[in-house]
Amino acid sequence: MTRIRRGYVARRRRTKIRLFASTFRGTHSRLTRTTIQQKIRALVSAHRDRGRQKRSFRRLWITRINAAIREMGVSYIYSISINDLYKRQLLLNRKILAQIAISNTNCLYMISNKIIK
Amino acid sequence: MALPCSSHSTLHSKLTFGSTSKTPFLGFTLKPTTLSLTQKPLQVRSQDLSIVPQEQRWMFADDEISGPDIWNKTWYPKASDHINTDKKWYIVDATDKVLGRLSSTIANYIRGKNLVTYTPSVDMGAFVIVVNAEKVAVSGKKRTQKLYRRHSGRPGGMTVETFDQLQQRIPERIIEHAVRGMLPKGRLGRALFNHLKVYKGPDHPHEAQTPIDLPIRDKRIQIQR
Repeated sequence: MTRIRRGYVARRRRTKIRLFASTFRGTHSRLTRTTIQQKIRALVSAHRDRGRQKRSFRRLWITRINAAIREMGVSYIYSISINDLYKRQLLLNRKILAQIAISNTNCLYMISNKIIK
Repeated sequence: MALPCSSHSTLHSKLTFGSTSKTPFLGFTLKPTTLSLTQKPLQVRSQDLSIVPQEQRWMFADDEISGPDIWNKTWYPKASDHINTDKKWYIVDATDKVLGRLSSTIANYIRGKNLVTYTPSVDMGAFVIVVNAEKVAVSGKKRTQKLYRRHSGRPGGMTVETFDQLQQRIPERIIEHAVRGMLPKGRLGRALFNHLKVYKGPDHPHEAQTPIDLPIRDKRIQIQR
């Protein structure tokens, strides 16, 4: 059998992986085998966290809206306000409500006063 | 997306919504309102108009043309939004207050969960001073039965104390222990814990910070005698 060199096939594959992991810390961006493993873990985390991202942002918005609503008075609570929102068929979602709460709190107060009645 | 809730900009807040009559989203029309002076200097503006199709450009006011997109990027605090010297200071008198309920309120204020600008990864909370820590109360038989344990790390190094004994020895530790258990555990939690200042008597060295009374909503926090 003649001798066959494998050429640049493996090197090209590993360069791509190394480029992906070029900003990782320490040996995770330097050693080939470690780099391959870390790239896989990074992609797995990214995939899983794309679903988690939606959850965590919704959580954050709810906390912020809750804080804003509670500043209005003693018996103003997020859950009751959201219920009123649905009853009055107001289609604003929590993201928008949270941004309104931060940028223009008076607007949010006006909205919730209107829906309480 | 512009809401018909316009606000005139004051010192810092540059956000204005255009007031329009055609808004299909709300079930009622809002009258324009003036925004009172906000304490936090938030530079919040809407998106770039060039990506909006021609027939929808009526929805945006003139001021909203340039700047970050506030409707698609959730607000995140900048460094100037959480400077330690600008944070609020609160003071609580712990006399005859139930330990757990008091600590829960304190932890909420320290973490910043009562603020609209709450962010879990950033220290947005306030400072809290607790005075008269030795007079904090507990219900039931906890005064003699609640145990505080600590371990030195060596075998046989567990020390157990009752609430009573600890209150005589180091009364501040009771409230600190309770609040620490209610703050998040981690680097940020440990940094938050430093915002709690507990003192034994009625005096505290923070007069210069002019602390306000901590607003407590819990009705059962005061022990009834």
